Amino acid sequence: MRLSLSIAFLLLTSAIVLPYAQQPPAQQQPPPAQQPAPTPPAGRGRATQGNPTAAQKPPATVTPQAYPPELVQQGQVLFASFCGFCHGRDTMGGETGPDLTRSLLVAEDVRGDKIIPLVHAGRVDKGMPPQNIPDPDLAAIVAFIHDSKTKADSLEGNRRTVDPSDLATGNAQAGQQFFNGAGGCAKCHSPTGDLAGIASRYQGLQLLQRMLMPGGRGRGGVAPRPATATIKLPSGQTVTGRVTYRDEFTISVADSDGYTRSYSARGATITVDNPIEGHAALLPKYTNDDMHNVLAYLQTLK
Amino acid sequence: MNLRRLTFRSFLVVLPLAAGTLLVAQAPRGLDPAMMLKPPADMWPTYHGDYTGQRHSRLAQITPDNVHQLTVAWTFQSGSAAGIKATPILVDGVMYVTMPDNIWAIDARNGRQLWKYTYPTPQGFHIGHRGAAVYKDTVYLTTPDTHLIALDIRDGKVKWDVPFADWRKGFWSTNAPLLIKNHLIVGMSGDFDNLPGTLKSVDPETGKLQWVFYSTPPPGTPDSISGGATGGQMWNTGTYDPELNLLYVGTGNPTPVLNGPARPGDNKWVCSILAIDPDTGKLAWGFQASPHDTHDWDASEVPVLVDAPFNGAPRKMLMQASRNGYFFVLDRTNGKNLLTKPFAAANWTKGISENGSPIPDPAQEPARDGRLVAPDEGGGTNYRSPSFDRRTGLFIVSARDSWGIWFFKPEHGAYGWAGADYGVYGKGLLRAIDYQTGKIKWEHDLMGGGGGAGVLTTDTGITFSGDAANSVFALRTSDGATLWHASIGNVGNGPITYELDGKQYMVVAGGGVLYAWTLPERLVTAPPR
Repeated sequence: MRLSLSIAFLLLTSAIVLPYAQQPPAQQQPPPAQQPAPTPPAGRGRATQGNPTAAQKPPATVTPQAYPPELVQQGQVLFASFCGFCHGRDTMGGETGPDLTRSLLVAEDVRGDKIIPLVHAGRVDKGMPPQNIPDPDLAAIVAFIHDSKTKADSLEGNRRTVDPSDLATGNAQAGQQFFNGAGGCAKCHSPTGDLAGIASRYQGLQLLQRMLMPGGRGRGGVAPRPATATIKLPSGQTVTGRVTYRDEFTISVADSDGYTRSYSARGATITVDNPIEGHAALLPKYTNDDMHNVLAYLQTLK
Repeated sequence: MNLRRLTFRSFLVVLPLAAGTLLVAQAPRGLDPAMMLKPPADMWPTYHGDYTGQRHSRLAQITPDNVHQLTVAWTFQSGSAAGIKATPILVDGVMYVTMPDNIWAIDARNGRQLWKYTYPTPQGFHIGHRGAAVYKDTVYLTTPDTHLIALDIRDGKVKWDVPFADWRKGFWSTNAPLLIKNHLIVGMSGDFDNLPGTLKSVDPETGKLQWVFYSTPPPGTPDSISGGATGGQMWNTGTYDPELNLLYVGTGNPTPVLNGPARPGDNKWVCSILAIDPDTGKLAWGFQASPHDTHDWDASEVPVLVDAPFNGAPRKMLMQASRNGYFFVLDRTNGKNLLTKPFAAANWTKGISENGSPIPDPAQEPARDGRLVAPDEGGGTNYRSPSFDRRTGLFIVSARDSWGIWFFKPEHGAYGWAGADYGVYGKGLLRAIDYQTGKIKWEHDLMGGGGGAGVLTTDTGITFSGDAANSVFALRTSDGATLWHASIGNVGNGPITYELDGKQYMVVAGGGVLYAWTLPERLVTAPPR
């Protein structure tokens, strides 16, 4: 009961959800635009995200590179200290950081030309803080990452993975019923419209993640439809636009030309249409069977 | 030369000097452990401010009526790209704040740096640091590579440096040690490896080990009752009841983390609230918040100590909002459960057992095809310190409603994480819980997946905390109405309050900067006539 009240509260306030700030951004940077919902918690599990799913072959290193063992060893210690909590001590991923051995950026990196600027700048929107690591230390970290990738590419089996076949326990017909009935999915989605061919674009875990929360963990591909707001200002004027920021006190919207403007929430009547709210409201309703059934149904939409 | 006259003259000269020296000598120096029993208004001498963990202040200058006039008294720029997660400690007008491998001593009147110490060998996980501890003339810092560094309170010079665990085995520390009499209680982390849950007490004078407590005694030892589970690290700072002479501490999750079949049974004492004799390290009682946890839901959250009526009878209680989404009230004299209620989304139980522990639903254990479980790995709450407001009887906590998908198959093995899980969605809400019923009296949207801030309440009815959208705010404790806010960057620590020179300060971190707020001067001191 209390749970459904919370969801009602969520819908009433029409708040879009900003990226989780557990890994604090270093500077007062504005939160990223168009990033509703995803919630990387303080996690340490094993994950692959935003890159080829675990069942797929990792991208090959474009420019093979060799590093002296001493440098790799030095990099291993530094990596564990500065990167390991999120990316795993072995570079193979944690809940808050992707498996670097499957990263496209690492595959394309040549002696740090892509990794080093990224470490300096951080990826604040994804919870990665900028790090002031001295260059010689970074060179060692880069060596360790590439060495780990080389080793990981030669591994077979036993990786901490979720294979598409693991997920194939649902009943597509029951899933279709849930989709059209209790789940209410058909109110916004159509198997011949927006979801046509979805199973060709996404498989396995990535499809499941997008199904549960688009724009969340199963990144890549088309972004979900952005949240839009209608703001009735105290002056009586009404503004509409794509929501780029929202907190308790201000709301920012972008117009069709991409210009963003902020408004005080005080005295304004704000209505937000955020498509991810339907997905959030479904989470307390799904049984595990519902979840697997709907996934099985989506897998038929090739 | 007349010796007597000389002596007399010298005496005249020396007397005022001696008197002056005497005055300085009488000024407070360092921290007397006895003071910890009732910290004065100008101190915040330990991580939670006092032994209760209530983070509730009786200071009354800042009120709901004037809080909107708060102004910045000073800021302290750490210069670090990472954010401050530590609760500052305040002793004798000097504030001590930490980040991994670093500690600063700051003048609490103006934010000026007095000294800084940087640990020279960065090793171990650098994910954050909770804070320092002070005893007499020494300041203590734990390091990511599990060393305890004792620093001279005057200049930050190293007095001694002792390792308290082996970081190479997978331990690390973010811990703010807890001083109890002549014991410094030091905790550690480590759940990527199958390590015994370890808490240590060291002599604050010498760093010498006094006792070791294992929440999961190493397999093969006679005390081992964990059913094969390792883990149960006590990484957060506990609380203490001087009358009962009991230290209260929450224990972490078991390892292997997601692989339940490898460790059958309840896995005592992981995910538990424990009462320990601080003089001997012996267990007095335990209460398990999550029997047979398979979701990384440690019970390391703050065990808050409250003396108040429960169902009409005065009680010595312990309250915890636990990571598994449940709020517990225990009788802290014996560990008996008084109340168990969910305060955040939770779909993993089959009910509540007679002793008050939730009964885990085996169908929600991580599985090959995945289980959709609330909360996610980050939990219904986490390290973020809650506050108990004695005026309203509200327990106020930074909560999350969250869902994750959880996987385990035998191929994942039985070492360390041993599984995979993925957060799906979470929403952060500051929730005010009535401690006698567990009902949510009000909630405040934290505008995102979850905040990083702790909570502070004051006797005038203010709740200070921060949201996920860079705002520090003040709410009215009775109903949660927003009274004041300022956008200062990611609010990543627990706010503190103290009074110096008749002025009440509230200090909180925004990103890598500390902000000290006071009322404007004219409101603090009477205007000149």
